[in-house]
Amino acid sequence: MKHDFSELKLDRVTRRFAGAGGKAFNALDELSLIVQRGEFICLLGPSGCGKSTALNCIAGLMQLSGGSIWLDDTRIDTLPPEKRGFGMVFQNYALFPHMTVARNIDFGLRMRGNSATEIAPRVARALKLVQLTGQEHKLPGQLSGGQQQRVAIARAIVIEPPLILMDEPLSNLDAKLRIETRAEIRRIHHELGRATIYVTHDQDEALSLADRIVVMKDGKVQQIAPPPEVYAQPANLHVARFMGYRNVLALDVQREDGDHIVLNGPDISLTGVRKQPLRNGKAAVAIRPEEIVMGEGPGGANTISARVRNIEYCGRDSLLDVVTASGTVLHVRAAGAAALGDSVRVHVPVDRVLVYPGE
Amino acid sequence: MSATSAHLARPAFDRTLLLVLPATAFMFLLFVYPFLYGLALSFDPKEGGWLGNYKHFFTTDNQWPTIWTTLKLALPATLINVGFALPIAYKMRVKSRYQRWITTILVVPITLGTVLIAEGMLTYFGPKGWLSQFLQFAHLYDGPIRLTHNYWGVLISLVISGFPFAFLLILSYITGIDPVLARAASTLGANPKAQFRHIYLPLLAPGLAMCFCLAFVQAYSVFPSAVLLGSPAGPTRVISIAAYEAAFEQYDYSLASAIAMIMGFVQLIIVAAVLSLRNAFYRGPVSGGKG
Repeated sequence: MKHDFSELKLDRVTRRFAGAGGKAFNALDELSLIVQRGEFICLLGPSGCGKSTALNCIAGLMQLSGGSIWLDDTRIDTLPPEKRGFGMVFQNYALFPHMTVARNIDFGLRMRGNSATEIAPRVARALKLVQLTGQEHKLPGQLSGGQQQRVAIARAIVIEPPLILMDEPLSNLDAKLRIETRAEIRRIHHELGRATIYVTHDQDEALSLADRIVVMKDGKVQQIAPPPEVYAQPANLHVARFMGYRNVLALDVQREDGDHIVLNGPDISLTGVRKQPLRNGKAAVAIRPEEIVMGEGPGGANTISARVRNIEYCGRDSLLDVVTASGTVLHVRAAGAAALGDSVRVHVPVDRVLVYPGE
Repeated sequence: MSATSAHLARPAFDRTLLLVLPATAFMFLLFVYPFLYGLALSFDPKEGGWLGNYKHFFTTDNQWPTIWTTLKLALPATLINVGFALPIAYKMRVKSRYQRWITTILVVPITLGTVLIAEGMLTYFGPKGWLSQFLQFAHLYDGPIRLTHNYWGVLISLVISGFPFAFLLILSYITGIDPVLARAASTLGANPKAQFRHIYLPLLAPGLAMCFCLAFVQAYSVFPSAVLLGSPAGPTRVISIAAYEAAFEQYDYSLASAIAMIMGFVQLIIVAAVLSLRNAFYRGPVSGGKG
């Protein structure tokens, strides 16, 4: 068990499961990733994308079907979880119900054979870090969800693991507590200065926490990039959809001009930026609702005429559904006043129309 | 309080409570009344004062030792059943291809009943039974094998009939413990042995105590196998045989009731002792947080 490291390397980590009808499928397909000391990595994807499988493989709770995991020069995928010494925070916290908060937190230290004089100050420090000082003699059942959550974090970090693994730790908390605890997790990560791998299906969580996001789908990595890049430049249509590009339009390619593509639909003509090589003249463009601007574009470029079909008031702005003459629906986030049935003209900047191969 | 709020408050009498009446009547007629009748009967002996039956039991040489004779059978049988059921049930907690088969095989004896088991054992373990014939044929052991009509015959039969019961009970307790707890312990450095000791055992303790009590009560009231497989006049003259003789050979229902009361009292003492031990352990939900 090491207490410090410089990098964790996942080399084509694969996990197969027996599926229906005895057909094996890859829940995790050749995940390769190098995590540096100090990094916060988010594995992001819809349920069933293999992100939790990846985490369990790293923790040692699941055996690999292929590939290897290295902590610097030590191969660790052959070690049982208790020999890896990574801290893990589980989705349902997995606190030991028969032990007090203090006993839960010092469990890892007791298992390592630390003496009582060593344990006490470390537990006190961990309690302070998660702001639970004074609660050490309670049983987990007497704590609120948010407190249980913080006990689970304290229990994982008190052993000072090189790597902390978190499996959707905020999914059981209410919205307010989720945002508060999110900030706590980021702060604790910085204080410890080790590495964190965090699994979530919530893109806001991933964007706000991560140094790098690993977007996954069907066991395969779709994109590994820092949050601004995943947000603004999704590598493919799956990532775009997942990152909130709600408008995906199937259009025909009319002309390619370097990376700029001119596309046509029945009553839509758009110029966009190519993100992936195109084939056979079909394309899908992805546009965020908040990047569509009310009014005509400069010189009438990238402008669409439509009628307002639905308005959802969201406070700071409204979410409009506008429909073109041929029936194409666009979701638009707009601050201005619009009424149902209004005829509107909207436009999108060329660099915010992302062009992917058609499906 | 206004009329509307009184209307919204809980009604004075909840009529769904009436649903407990049939069960209460059943309990009263088939358990409480016979018990109280027997208790009263035991204080109304054929001869002597109101404690005459109890005096008779504790001063007669073939009566009072039956308490120990029965304890000597029931306690080891219970310890064996719970002691073996625990590790096997622990192994069976993970779903596997063999789990269902092994569970089925282990549970089959529960369907047989004590008399059928006794018959089978007489054929198998008897002096001319398959076991002794096989051992002699294979020259593994040439001496006489005495496993029936003595203490061992009754003990084996108590294990065969009691084990499935203990096993199923413990299995249901174990599978109720969230396996994520053991996984969490493993990421904190607990090897499988430590996971059992620090996670499973403390969470199981109340269940084990309960299982011990039920298995013990069952074993202490042993009757058919003590007659069929033991030596009912000697080392396996258990307390229920004494009660049976009083009731159906001497036709002294009053004495038989007194013996039954003594038997219940001994069971109660053991159960109370074990359950008070149980209070030393954590009792509560066995999952690790929000599900």
